[in-house]
Amino acid sequence: MNIRYLLLSIVALSLGIVLIFLPEKKYTRELTPEKLMLAINDNSRFMSTDYVAHMIIESNPSLVLIDVRDSTSFSQFSLPGATNIPLDSLLNSEWEGFLDQDYVKKVFYSNGSVYAAQAWTLTRRLGYENVYVLKGGINSWVETILRPLEPASTASSEEFDLYHTRIATSQFFGGGNAAVVSTDSKPAKKIIKKKSKSALQGGC
Amino acid sequence: MNPYLAGFLLGVTLLAAFFFTGRGLGASGAVKSVIVTAVDVVAPEHTSDSEFYQKYVSKKESPLRAWLVFEVLGVLIGGLLSGSLSGRLKFKIEHSPKISSRTRLIAAVIGGVLFGLGSQLGRGCTSGAALSGMAVLSSAGFVSMLAIFGTGYAFAYLARKLWI
Amino acid sequence: MGPLITQGLIGENWNFVIAFIIGISFGFILEQAGFSSSRKLAGVFYGYDFVVLRVFFTAAITAMIGMLFFHYFGWMDLDLVWVNPTYLRSAIIGGVIMGLGFIIGGFCPGTSVCALSIGKIDALFFVGGIFLGVFLFAEAYSLLDELYMADAFGPMKVYESLGISRGIFAFALIAMAIGAFFITARIEKNASKVDY
Repeated sequence: MNIRYLLLSIVALSLGIVLIFLPEKKYTRELTPEKLMLAINDNSRFMSTDYVAHMIIESNPSLVLIDVRDSTSFSQFSLPGATNIPLDSLLNSEWEGFLDQDYVKKVFYSNGSVYAAQAWTLTRRLGYENVYVLKGGINSWVETILRPLEPASTASSEEFDLYHTRIATSQFFGGGNAAVVSTDSKPAKKIIKKKSKSALQGGC
Repeated sequence: MNPYLAGFLLGVTLLAAFFFTGRGLGASGAVKSVIVTAVDVVAPEHTSDSEFYQKYVSKKESPLRAWLVFEVLGVLIGGLLSGSLSGRLKFKIEHSPKISSRTRLIAAVIGGVLFGLGSQLGRGCTSGAALSGMAVLSSAGFVSMLAIFGTGYAFAYLARKLWI
Repeated sequence: MGPLITQGLIGENWNFVIAFIIGISFGFILEQAGFSSSRKLAGVFYGYDFVVLRVFFTAAITAMIGMLFFHYFGWMDLDLVWVNPTYLRSAIIGGVIMGLGFIIGGFCPGTSVCALSIGKIDALFFVGGIFLGVFLFAEAYSLLDELYMADAFGPMKVYESLGISRGIFAFALIAMAIGAFFITARIEKNASKVDY
């Protein structure tokens, strides 16, 4: 009896010693090309400028803007509250915790949407959730929010309602000048990456 | 059965639970599911304006909570199987000879109520929070385990009449 | 790679079947170990039967070692596994209340169901008590919700809180458990015999 327990104890302790030196591995949840294709064909990744403007006005913390252009362009003009992560440093480890979490929606934007779309594809491929593209980028922002275009007189009432909303929104953002320098870019919120990110629930 | 063997097999079962479903064992959660469902059926207006019930009545949560109900049903069957195979099936009120059956039953109810309350507050019982938590090395698991057993030891002397 | 259902390698509908089978295994093992007897369970607090400690820690360690190695071999992804979140205040207070319940009632929910299955009437009363307790909590929730949500640390790992590496903690846990097994064997030998 005692010898058996002694042997078992030695086995268990040996396993323990192995565990001390066992490296911690990470398995990234990268998307397969097929899954990525599906995601690309799904237009829900686009967020309209109206929606984003609305969230900013409401100071809704669940949405974060990420400017993927270089820092010079960013300092000349940026959307309120945006964080600058230039596309070529998107994959740096310092941003991983910020990008790879489910708690806030991350909206990439650039001048048009090419760079933003690239950022989206990269992060989506890595399995990051809740990433979006600002539809039309800054160009669209200027057209719809800062200097909204008046609809033709034959347009529907919804279009006029939207136009009036946009006028009000543009006042909030100091619209009328395309080169408004945004001075209130908050520093990047360092969100601590939580280990269990899946929607799995458990517990007793 | 040798307790270490039992522990090992239980550990394997726990590992299987994690491996197949990504979650550990549990017991008190099943009771919560039953209560929430029952109250919702009997008095839906009450559940709709209670913060607690609202959390668990929503459609999204219900299939996940049912997992524990099925697991507990399994526990019943498993225990029954083992008991019948080992000849331990018998209706009885098990109690120390130093107390009466009545005392034992009252103590059992009180113990149950405390566990019902405590497990909800502690987000799990010994199987769900402590055991499964320890297996995944969560702080909550160890805190729960220490709190439960620590308190048991702290009050053991006061409750000794019930057992020895 | 596991967890199989989370990764979609087995259909969701198998989840309940698996739950049931796991439950059967759980109940069977518990009963075989003698956990269907409240007096045997209470022994851990009085030194005459440490079966609870032996089974509990062996199980936790087995599963822990298993999962760490499975993760290393690429058989399962530990980051996808449910880690119960730490709400420090309610975990401690809830644990204290449960500890009281354990020493008074002699069961925990899992073992009470197991004992109930073999016909223990006191277990039936205990289970009834659990229902009552859960119901009371649900009704009193509005008074308790601040306590319930206090000190939220998220799914924190114990070795992170202690500031040591995962491997070292695992080894220390194994060593402590084995130490406890040997020490309690001594205590049991010297404890007064209880007939149950």
